[in-house]
Amino acid sequence: MTTLLVAKQYMKLIYSKYEAYITPLLKFLLAFIALLLINSNLGYMEGINKITVVLIVALMCSFMPMNFIVIMAALFALLHMYAFSLECAIVAGAAFLLMFLLYFRFSPKDTVVVILTPVCFLLKIPYVIPIAMGLIGTPASAVSVACGVIAYYMIHYVGENATLLSGMADEETATKFKIIIDGILNNKEMIVTIVAFAVTLILVYLIRRMSIDYAWTIAMVAGALVNIMVLLIGDLMFDTNVSLLSAILGTIVSFLITLVLQFFVFHVDYSRTENVQFEDDEYYYYVKAVPKVTLAKPEKQVKQINVQKRSRNTH
Amino acid sequence: MLNEERVILMTKLASYEANDGKKNIAIGNYFRSDYIGWQVLKSIISATIAFVVVFAMYIFYDFEIFMMDVYKMDLLEFGKNILLLYAGFVGAYAVISYIVYAYRYSKARKSLKLYYMNLKKLSNMYSNK
Repeated sequence: MTTLLVAKQYMKLIYSKYEAYITPLLKFLLAFIALLLINSNLGYMEGINKITVVLIVALMCSFMPMNFIVIMAALFALLHMYAFSLECAIVAGAAFLLMFLLYFRFSPKDTVVVILTPVCFLLKIPYVIPIAMGLIGTPASAVSVACGVIAYYMIHYVGENATLLSGMADEETATKFKIIIDGILNNKEMIVTIVAFAVTLILVYLIRRMSIDYAWTIAMVAGALVNIMVLLIGDLMFDTNVSLLSAILGTIVSFLITLVLQFFVFHVDYSRTENVQFEDDEYYYYVKAVPKVTLAKPEKQVKQINVQKRSRNTH
Repeated sequence: MLNEERVILMTKLASYEANDGKKNIAIGNYFRSDYIGWQVLKSIISATIAFVVVFAMYIFYDFEIFMMDVYKMDLLEFGKNILLLYAGFVGAYAVISYIVYAYRYSKARKSLKLYYMNLKKLSNMYSNK
């Protein structure tokens, strides 16, 4: 445990020193993974289905604001869908537009969840999202998570029904349109997932806010259990074919990941070095404010091994 | 001579201005009614666009049936229903955004209060020098 704590302190120290490089690097990685996953799942447009294009766009994302990644990912998904069929692109475009118009005006900070959720789905660890967002977000984050789930199932639907949709002739635009909307809206699995995630997130949030010992850990355990339960109840009610084993295994793995995240990321105040400039009548100030990090060195335990003193009485 | 205490305070203020304070200062430049009114207006516009998109999708979804029915149905009634739906949707959305932005405004004001207090402290430091 002590080594872990020291490792945490080191991470804090490194982050506060090199924040200027670490944040863009993380952004680059997120954009790179997200775009690669979109390309591998949709990849209909040859022009953007190239590693060079992904690299260039990801590099651009690394020094742009976070929301730029979301816009780029949405654009990639839409372009692929457009190359596949116009109807798909229209439906997906309308869905994205509604999300941005109605919800993300309020909470632009949460937008990154919309991209993280599908990424976690494709990496097979979707249950990390509701637990993690319950720990760091507010109940309103449930809407962002729901948007992310919808985005994932849209991509998933197009990928799965590619043969069916491409088999249809071009004249059947209206029918195609109807099939796509039906396929996305009537997806029971999606609805059950949205409900499960929302319930989990709100529960985790409520328990996390309680003033009890180990509130965070209890919240995570309760969240993981409720998540499995709601998924199973949904399965019984709507026959969603959620595989029991993968739900349980996925939740356990997600729980472990959140545990690590909680230890290294959420609880830690990653204050960073600030570079500020200002002036008064006499001076220009260029101040670099470096946060104080106290590095707790592992305490050395000194065991005293004393030779038992013999009692003087013995002769 | 450099006054250390002053530099620390100024650094804190500058860092606030560059990070959290940026938004709050922008909000603080508005009167309450102006800020909330402007935000609600923006909400109404985006809700209108959203409604049009959903309506277009709805028409498109059953396009053939709709085109067949369009001659038979009472267009006035249909229009009225749509308008009612629109008013309800935009009204609800406007109320929600009013609540959200009223909360945000008061929060920004509170945060700015501390900032202004520190500014005053700083100016006192200069005048007392």
